[in-house]
Amino acid sequence: MAAADSPSAALRRRDLCSRGIRLAGKMRSDVIDLLDAYVERQGLDASASVAVFEGVPVAAAEHWDEQTGTQRLLENLSAYRAFRSLLAQMLEEQREQLGEADAPLGQALAAVLLQVSAFTYHLEELLQLVSPGPPSEEGPGPPLPSHLSLFERKLRGLGVLRELAQWAVRSARDLRQLNKSSPGSSSAPSPAESP
Amino acid sequence: HPHNLKCVTHNLRRMFCAWDFFSKGRHGQTDFCYTTNELSPPVCFKTKEKRVEIPVPQRSSIVSITTNSISGTATKEYEIHKKEISFVPHTPHILSLTPDFSTSTLNLKWNDNGSVFPYGLDAFWQIQILRKEATEKVAQITYYSKLTHEDTILSWNWTSDMPLECTSHYVKIRCYINITQFVGPKDWSDWSPVEMIPGKDTEPHGSGVYPQDTVVAVGSDVTICCIHEEGQQIQRMTYGPETYPMIHLSSRSSAIRVLNASASDASGTNVVCILSEYEMDGTVLFVGYAPDTPQDLTCETANFLEIKCTWKPGRPSGLYGKRGTKYSLFERLSGKNVLCKVNEMNRDRICSFPVLADQKTYDFILNISNPIGQVQSSLLVDLTQRVHPKTPEKLTVSGNSSTSVHLHWFINGSFAEIRLLCQIEIVSGHSEQKMYNVTMWGREFSTYTAQLNMLHPYTKYQFRVRCLAADHFWKWSDWSKTEEHTTSEA
Repeated sequence: MAAADSPSAALRRRDLCSRGIRLAGKMRSDVIDLLDAYVERQGLDASASVAVFEGVPVAAAEHWDEQTGTQRLLENLSAYRAFRSLLAQMLEEQREQLGEADAPLGQALAAVLLQVSAFTYHLEELLQLVSPGPPSEEGPGPPLPSHLSLFERKLRGLGVLRELAQWAVRSARDLRQLNKSSPGSSSAPSPAESP
Repeated sequence: HPHNLKCVTHNLRRMFCAWDFFSKGRHGQTDFCYTTNELSPPVCFKTKEKRVEIPVPQRSSIVSITTNSISGTATKEYEIHKKEISFVPHTPHILSLTPDFSTSTLNLKWNDNGSVFPYGLDAFWQIQILRKEATEKVAQITYYSKLTHEDTILSWNWTSDMPLECTSHYVKIRCYINITQFVGPKDWSDWSPVEMIPGKDTEPHGSGVYPQDTVVAVGSDVTICCIHEEGQQIQRMTYGPETYPMIHLSSRSSAIRVLNASASDASGTNVVCILSEYEMDGTVLFVGYAPDTPQDLTCETANFLEIKCTWKPGRPSGLYGKRGTKYSLFERLSGKNVLCKVNEMNRDRICSFPVLADQKTYDFILNISNPIGQVQSSLLVDLTQRVHPKTPEKLTVSGNSSTSVHLHWFINGSFAEIRLLCQIEIVSGHSEQKMYNVTMWGREFSTYTAQLNMLHPYTKYQFRVRCLAADHFWKWSDWSKTEEHTTSEA
């Protein structure tokens, strides 16, 4: 950690970590629900294996345990910024392709987008505490390759939601790790780890 | 000796005569003589060929063929009667073969060489469409035309039952000209050289599932193909939840055929081509209906500013978003066209059209279209006969008389063109209810007043008002809010 923690800062950080863990847990369950609805509404095969699409952040991390707290937060922040723009693209496409036809799916997508935006803001706040001056916004996020066919967009959406569900698990673990390494912390409850 | 002499004409004026030799050995020059009619002397010339081009005779032609070979000279004479001369049109040539991938249509253009023939002859063109390296005939069509003694470019379209991307398509054409006055045998021309439109399965890295994200009508038969790299193998192709038997098109292309397609979900029906556990490709097919004819189209105005047309949509098309149904309202007299923003989820459809200055009659055409079809509905409206005023607002009651009051109310709208009939409901404390009608000239966004007399003193009354167009009853406005008032003591 770059800055020595004053007691109030440490308290604030533990609070942000705990709240972040709960946010991630809630987000994960909502993403799982959305994933089920998405697969059903888009007529996809739930067991289909989907290649990783360009621009979709991958949750699996090599040398995860060697990462510093700041690195964890930076990777999380970059991922959720990407997810924020990916979900916004999906929502835009949903409206373009279906209009008002599938409002429930659109609303569920919008709800998860809101949570991702909130979680992104939460990470920025936490990063401000852990390492002053978070990186500036990285531009509009991954552009949607215009040549994707509708079927590829459906698969891409499936890949985004699956990866986001993985990231929610990883984020909870990252925040717990951050919590452990902050002075005077005791390990926070971990709803995300419950089966 | 020369034998087996045959003559063929392509244009009724000149003919090609060809013969064979009994012996196979080398032949020197041949002396060829012919007459075109009984009176003219023979025309002779030398040739090394076994084929000559000479004029078509009026009735018959005497031909003598003298051949010189190592074994000596031999002469053979023939009389060729007109009825022994065959007529075979020139082999046609395809001028252009143009694909329209969006509609899976091939456009064929060719020259009919009509200038060679007299006016008015019937010509038949046989066109063959082939696949699989031009070995499998998929369609043979006979196209009819009339020759006009001029060279005419003929054009013809063929729509494939599968996307043109799926595999290469080959086309060839031949013709038959029905020359009734020609006495000799008539036959089809030779086939033209084949023209080809390459499929995506010939492109080095061509791959994909076709058609891509297309819309078809419910009940259609659809062929969907999967194109993959050389050496890859398709495990299976599914349409929605079902696996379909595959049709082999080429080493890199297979297809499935879906018959009588049923309506798809809003997000379309996925067609998936599974190449391996980790590799798949696919497309989305939207199966829906053409727009239904609108029911109960009516148009009215509430304020002489805007005309609202409503209708019942009928059966949903099953197509949404950018494939959804588009609505536009065209007014014939003014030529104005308005695009309607319609919410497909509403039971009734609404479209607004501005009231135009100095125009009372409106001749509407409601155009409804989607990628599958289009329907129209028309309606002629005299706006003054279709007034449905807004609810009267700000009803107030004033007056300190014991037997009369003044009512005031506001109607949002520009009614200067018509007379209004307003009905006032009077309910007194003894639950006695009376209706009082008052007619007045409409005005622009105005407050209207009416005086009620012969009321009972010191009595509590409830008043409310509604209005409609006095001269052409169409619809009452809704009732205003109720206003209470107690008359003063006598």
